[in-house]
Order: sequence, then C-alpha cells, then structure tokens
Amino acid sequence: MIYSWKKIVKHGLPLLTVTILIEIFAGQILQGKQESLLLFPVFLISIPVINSISGNIGSVLGARLASGLHVGYISLSLKDKEMHDNLLISILIGLITYLILAIIIYFLALFGNLIEDIALIEFVAIIVLTGFLLICVVSFISVLTAFISFKRGLDPDDMVAPVVTTVGDVMGIVFLFTIIGLVGVGI
Amino acid sequence: MFAKEMVKQSLPLIVFCGLGAVVAGSTLGVMIDLLRKIPGLIVVVPAIIALRGNISTAFGSRLGSAYHLGIIGKDNLWNEELKQNILGSFILSLFVSIIIGLLAYLTSFIFGVYPDAVKLISIVILAGIISAVILNLMTIAIIYLVFKRGYDPDNITGPALATFGDIVTMLSLFGSAFLIEVLL
Repeated sequence: MIYSWKKIVKHGLPLLTVTILIEIFAGQILQGKQESLLLFPVFLISIPVINSISGNIGSVLGARLASGLHVGYISLSLKDKEMHDNLLISILIGLITYLILAIIIYFLALFGNLIEDIALIEFVAIIVLTGFLLICVVSFISVLTAFISFKRGLDPDDMVAPVVTTVGDVMGIVFLFTIIGLVGVGI
Repeated sequence: MFAKEMVKQSLPLIVFCGLGAVVAGSTLGVMIDLLRKIPGLIVVVPAIIALRGNISTAFGSRLGSAYHLGIIGKDNLWNEELKQNILGSFILSLFVSIIIGLLAYLTSFIFGVYPDAVKLISIVILAGIISAVILNLMTIAIIYLVFKRGYDPDNITGPALATFGDIVTMLSLFGSAFLIEVLL
C-alpha cells in the first residue's frame, strides 16, 4: 500500500498550519474593516473573487514555469525571455478576468439591492486596479518561488500553488482597502 | 511563443472559476446578519477557504497520480488506497479546523474583539466536517466520471475542485453558523 492516512496528515499538517496562520492574519484585517464591509457589501462579495483569480493565475503560471524548468526550455535566469512572455500574458489574462468579473459583480449587487451610491465605473476601476497590482505581485512571487524551489532541488509543482494563494489572499485584501482609501468612496 | 493559444486555453477556465467565487462571495453577502451577530466569524473566512482549497486539490492530485501509477482505475476505484486517502484528508480537515477556530479566537483578543469561544470553534469544526464530507464525495464522483470517459484526472480535478470548493465551503460555513446561532 502506498498511501496511509497517517502519512497524509503528517505531510500536510506543517504547510497547512503556516498557511492558516497567515490566512488568520488576513481574516483579522477583514474584522478590522468589518463595519465598512457590512455597509458596502459589494466589496465583501468581491473578496473571494479577487483572491480566487489571483490564486488561479499564479498557480497556472507556476505550473507552466515548473514544466518549462523540468523540460529545460526555461532557464534559471531573471532575464529569460520565455519567462517574461509568460509573465506578461498572466498579467493580461488577469486584467481581462478582473474586468469581466467586476462588471458581473456590480450588476449582481445592483439586482440584489446591495449597492450604496457607487458608480459602475468607480467600482470597476477599484477592482481592476486592485487586481492589476495583485497580479503583478503574485506573478513575481510565482516566478521567485518556482526558481528558488527548482534551484534547491524541490519540485516547484508542490510549492508554488500554496505559497501564491496564501500570499495573494493577504495582499488582495490589503490592496483592496488601500485602493478604496485612495479613491475615497467613503468606506 | 503561443500567446494567443495560452489566452484561449486558460482565460475561459479562470473566468469560470471566478464565477464560482462570485457565488461564494454572494453567500458572504447573504451572511451579513450572522457576521454582525457572531464576532470573529469573518476572521475564519479566508482560512477555511484556504484549508478546503489546499486539502481537496492535494487529494485530487494524489488520486491523479494514483491513477497514473495504476493503483486505482475504472474497475478498481473503491479500494484500501482510496479509503486511506479519504481518511487522511478528513482527519487533516478536522485537525486544521480546530486550529483555525482556536487561532481566530485567540488573535481576536489582540485586536480587542471578544468572540464566544465555544460558538466560534464549534462553527468552524462543523463547517470543516460538512465541507470535507461533501467535497470528498464530490472528488470521488469527479474521478469516477473522469475514468469512465478516459480523461486524464490531472487536467480536470484541480479547476473543478477550485470552483466547487469555494462554493461548498462558504455554504457550509453559512449553514453551520446559522445552525449554531440557533442552537446555542
């Protein structure tokens, strides 16, 4: 027998515990902003979406880099052209996805009567700007994690997804509140 | 460089996963009253979503490898290897749910919020168990369908679990919070 529940628990627990610690920190930021989030539920709805997109894009990028490194068509250099192309396309896909989903969320909230005096253009600008910053950071972390783990003889396939989703969850929430503060919609 | 190819292949899937997250987010929007009534509940949201995502994608990718190694297959799905995998991810969920509840309760003190420990921890454990049962069953169903059609599970389980995982987790958290709030 290859699998045993004890081994699965033993291997999974350390990384999960670290992940959970960081996610609780993200949750505390949400709690600190709870009053504003309950007044502007459209942003509350957006949080899982913001985090899901960046996590998926970072993981896809990481998986592509891992395959490239394993097969050898991506070299361990921050100047690698193939890596730069992958990075740019991730950012492009991210921008399109955030734009589409921001519009969907806005109209969903509009029909659900959850919108308090915020214009479509204002909301979309906040989400796309947050998403752009987040994708840049997450993609960069994805590259670093893939390169560092590959260099140390670890499989990037195991490392990138958990690192990218965890860091992305915290940064997503931080960026969202920063941008909201800068735009000043009163939240 | 296959830029167009890449956008064409991954954009629809990422948008689709995003739509799943919109459903998860809307659940959070519906929970506003519960969030107001139960201090500390919002703290566990990112952690419990991450817990489910990590455990079920690892479960899915182990089943994918097991398929490639010939340990499980179309005619040999419900065997001891699968049972150990289910038990492992279930116990891991339970453990980590307890940790999430405790951490959310303890760290709230630092920020001057005083949650009801019993309430908060039981909500997280209940949500962890319910979502673990539903998502494990879902994973097995997906794997079964994938085998039946002769697809590679590695290409399907990850995105499918990422999409359904968020929704199932948020609904489980909503259900558990509602139930515990009524019971306690």
